[in-house]
Amino acid sequence: MARDHWTEAHVRRLFWRAGFGASTKQARYWAQRSRGETIDWLMHGGAGPPRGKFPAPRIDGRPLDPANEYGQDVLWWLDKMVRTPRPLVEKMTLFWHDHFATLDQDRPLQLAQNKMLRRNALGSFRRLLTDVTKDPAMLLFLSLADSTKDEPNENYARELMELFTLGAGYSEHDIREAARALTGFRSKRRGDGSVAVLYDAKAHDTKSKRIFGKRGNYDYRDVLDLCIGHPQHAPFLVSKLWEYFVGTPIEPSARRRLAAVYRRNDHRIAPVVREILAHPALYRGLGAPDVVKSPVVYVVGMLRACGEGITRSDWVYLLDGMGQLPFHPPSVAGWDWGTAWLSTNTMHVRFDTANVMLRDRRSVKNGATPKADTPREAITRARSAVGRPWTSATTDAKLLKLATTLLSDDPAPPGGYRQDLQARADMCQRVLRQLLLTGPDAQVH
Amino acid sequence: MPKQPLSCGCDDFRATSESTRRSFVGHSQLTRRQAIGWGVGAGLSLYAAKALPLSRALEAAAADAASNPDAPVLVAVFLPGGLDLLDSLIPLNDFGAYSDLHRNIRVDKPPLLRDSALGIHPSLTQGVGGGIKGLYDAGKIGFLPGIDYPNPNLSHFHSRHFWETGLIVDSASPGWLGRWLDANGNQDNPLQGMSLAYGLSPVMRSRSAPVASASSAGGADFYIRDVYGEPFDEAMKTWSALAKAGGGGPGLKAAKRAAFLAKEVGDLLAPYAKAKGVDPLASSISYPSDSGFGDRLQTLAGLISKPLGIRVATVDAPADFDTHANQRTKLNQSLPEISQALSAFQADLEARGVADRVLTFVWSEFGRRPHDNDSGTDHGAGGLAWVQGTKVRSGLLSEYPSLHDFDDEDNLKVTVDFRTIYASLIEQWLRTDAGAVLPGARALGRIPIVR
Repeated sequence: MARDHWTEAHVRRLFWRAGFGASTKQARYWAQRSRGETIDWLMHGGAGPPRGKFPAPRIDGRPLDPANEYGQDVLWWLDKMVRTPRPLVEKMTLFWHDHFATLDQDRPLQLAQNKMLRRNALGSFRRLLTDVTKDPAMLLFLSLADSTKDEPNENYARELMELFTLGAGYSEHDIREAARALTGFRSKRRGDGSVAVLYDAKAHDTKSKRIFGKRGNYDYRDVLDLCIGHPQHAPFLVSKLWEYFVGTPIEPSARRRLAAVYRRNDHRIAPVVREILAHPALYRGLGAPDVVKSPVVYVVGMLRACGEGITRSDWVYLLDGMGQLPFHPPSVAGWDWGTAWLSTNTMHVRFDTANVMLRDRRSVKNGATPKADTPREAITRARSAVGRPWTSATTDAKLLKLATTLLSDDPAPPGGYRQDLQARADMCQRVLRQLLLTGPDAQVH
Repeated sequence: MPKQPLSCGCDDFRATSESTRRSFVGHSQLTRRQAIGWGVGAGLSLYAAKALPLSRALEAAAADAASNPDAPVLVAVFLPGGLDLLDSLIPLNDFGAYSDLHRNIRVDKPPLLRDSALGIHPSLTQGVGGGIKGLYDAGKIGFLPGIDYPNPNLSHFHSRHFWETGLIVDSASPGWLGRWLDANGNQDNPLQGMSLAYGLSPVMRSRSAPVASASSAGGADFYIRDVYGEPFDEAMKTWSALAKAGGGGPGLKAAKRAAFLAKEVGDLLAPYAKAKGVDPLASSISYPSDSGFGDRLQTLAGLISKPLGIRVATVDAPADFDTHANQRTKLNQSLPEISQALSAFQADLEARGVADRVLTFVWSEFGRRPHDNDSGTDHGAGGLAWVQGTKVRSGLLSEYPSLHDFDDEDNLKVTVDFRTIYASLIEQWLRTDAGAVLPGARALGRIPIVR
């Protein structure tokens, strides 16, 4: 790529979309390098600026116990997102968790699935889909375990085509026949109460099936190959990846090109993601971000911006209230993204999130704020405490007006009451931080 | 190898969601961005410039309620996953055919509904006054067996989208109740359309009318830790000013709208929050314990009885009716809560003296395959919905589908189009023009739903 325009604003946009935001250090460091080098680092890791120091996770003084303690599976993953050296891998793991949404299975199975998704996050889609199809949590969730030749269950076959690989271009007949080809997985409860899944050839329907107009003695591997080889698959998957990163529908020309990249690279995911991250569309409107942060991105981004780690469990109920609790997607189709995240209620929970964030280390103690701060200094102080988030010029003007009002030495209105300047300076810091973290500008990236 | 009870099923909506789930890429007209383009109501032109927080929204709510105290209220309750008709209302006059179809999961000796040849799932007798069965026997339920639409789509996400929008097309649209508000609501009162939920139901998404979501009356109010007095008032004024400021694309605009309306809803609901052990919405009726569904219905009954101008509302059941496997166990686990909560809701509305102006419509996105599989049923057609209330026409409002004559996909034949019911509800219950909400409404036909 030619030496193109590459600024801190570009880096910040890229790190929000490919991760959970850039620190000030990261933005400076990568702005001095090229777009290609920056994307290389996101794709492959390696040397970069020193990472921020985030505290290791501790709840009530103890390390996390994700397999047993309520909500600590969620905290375990949030901690990975906050402290990872590979933000794109976590962002892609979140993508696959949404894409292959699984819920309500035993905690160890869900955690094992999460590790499997992370391992395959940027690798071969064929390998990923195979691992997903054999994944115990998925097999149990979509009733593929114990779908036998005598009683084939269509649940997995349907979602495999509709949600996982194609979206369209298949018939009810294809689903029924694929369900027969997918038979053979059996579940077995072990002595310790856990469930194992095994393949039992005797339960597999060995007769001929007709899928997408082709006839064969298909088994589950063949069905996956047929789906991946279906002409709808490449456009389907690259479009979904595009929307995840860019936030707007893909244009036909970009879809054709990305589909070709995907096929040419033997259905590997990384080359497609790389193209998307380098695409000019990702950097449109740098001064006017417009993609609504998902609750997970909102919370993790806020933790990173404030230099906080996972030291309290409030994030669990807050993410639930905002509508995106990891390991608990609402259905097999995952979450609805974009403006659907926002309702009056979820917005209220987003506001409350800052009340939790601005405790402890980030709280403003009474008497801690210099009384001599000018309104502008108060804003600079607040901005740097919460990671210097993007704000529009309109927002800046309104925050300045607020600080000016609170820090003025106007007398109390007749019969009214004004706190002393120290109290107002402290509260001014608190409200500025609250509004910087929760105002409309903070909801988009 | 012995069969093990498995926890499975392709959908479970227990966690948080009321939203529809659907694929969102280019294969159809329905891109996710289009589908979700209507987050919260747009086009608000009000702004409370005064420090006094109770703004025009409150006046609008009070004015709504005062000008039309008997305005009908429509509550839509969603049972996610696709409720099985055959095991919910059992055709006793064709029990042999039913037993053959449901050889693995048959409901034995179901209680008989009054004056009918139908049995009802035993779990639907639980609750106040005999639960759903009690409501039916008392003439307060009209069942709609065989409800669906022509050429049913067996995808949860497509089918649900059709029901949510009232349109059988894969194109984006606000929800059918959101469109009803666009045509018949006002531009000031977000509580006119309420999702009792964390998020807004797609049924309630509007093009321009303000709408709200709240899971309880408490907790909608705003506070900032260790800030009070003038700094708090000024901060919230700035919050509203940031929300009211122009500029931004669809994403930022949606954030601003949500921020603005969230503050309005907080102000409107604040008087009804539990405080100092007193619950202003307390009910005299006993709802099921440990049931978020029951809690939300109880909150709704309370709010409907207050002068808030609620006209349409949505509540989603938590249960999973997508019974591909273990249908017998799952229905035995899920249906009691439905029966208990909905019968308590009805009794509560009556106790609060508002039952005559509330009609509840219960729906699910499709029916299930008449032939069972191993231990459950796959996606099918011809499901079950019902209307309940003191003013509904009771009994069987549609024909029970034949258990001998199936469609080309071996599914039950559809006997009533859900859009016919929507049109009938809009005209007969909400007393407004169905054509303003449902395109081609005239051709949909009507059936009498209201007494």
